[in-house]
Amino acid sequence: MNRIDDQLNRLFRAAIHPDAGAATPPFGMEARVLAAWREAAQAPAGFWDMRLLVRGLIVAAALMVLSLWPAVQSQSGNPAADYQELADATVQVDSAP
Amino acid sequence: MTDAEVEACVARGQQGDEGAILELFHYMYPHVAKLVNANLPGKESAEDLVQKACVKAITNLRQFSGKVPFLHWVSRIAVNTCLNQIRHEKRRPEVRLADLTEEEAGVVENLATRPNELDASQSLAARELVEKLLQGLRPPDRLLMRLMYLEGHSQEEISALTGWNGPLIKVRAFRARSQLRKRYALLMKEQP
Repeated sequence: MNRIDDQLNRLFRAAIHPDAGAATPPFGMEARVLAAWREAAQAPAGFWDMRLLVRGLIVAAALMVLSLWPAVQSQSGNPAADYQELADATVQVDSAP
Repeated sequence: MTDAEVEACVARGQQGDEGAILELFHYMYPHVAKLVNANLPGKESAEDLVQKACVKAITNLRQFSGKVPFLHWVSRIAVNTCLNQIRHEKRRPEVRLADLTEEEAGVVENLATRPNELDASQSLAARELVEKLLQGLRPPDRLLMRLMYLEGHSQEEISALTGWNGPLIKVRAFRARSQLRKRYALLMKEQP
């Protein structure tokens, strides 16, 4: 250990706090903490409950994917299918008696 | 309070028992106050921070799963509250001998000239000098140095308190210690 490290260690040992905390809370803190707890306990946990909100978002995302799935499937086939279908329909109308 | 009593108290608190909440507050208060005062020495806002940490712990009591001891969980909340508080504090680039009080300069002189431990009467000046040296570190490094050297926590305890893993603690401790060494060496150079 070099000289600087030795001196730093001695400095830290001298600076150790014997006991930095008080054993009893200051006047009024108990009431403030209790009031904060009561307020938090009374807050509506129903609709704004985070877990419920996250679940709702997951269900909504799943529904979106499900509802878009048929459209995606039809698009992913032959990209010219719509035009061919339209042309067929025109030919059928033109050749109709 | 024994572990079983704390467990029972937490269970009652989670059910909304006000008496249990009060008991838990009085149980955690000395521990939180000690941690906050040790990590924010001389700060006027320390009492507010103690209250903030206690309120956080009490209002989030339902999230306490019991996987770790209650006081460890509370300590982690207190340490994170301190870290958030000191995160935006400015760093002082360096400490010069001229910035020190007479008592602090006496501590430096004693350290440089005598091989033995400092006298108990120099404890306060030593603490202030350490604080001045720590002001040059990044807030997480500063917190780590305090936990490690002033409160004597082990690496495992620091990991439980801060959520940092072992390698991160080692890297931070090494970096912080070498910065402290440089700052202290600069003071020594100025020593007549």
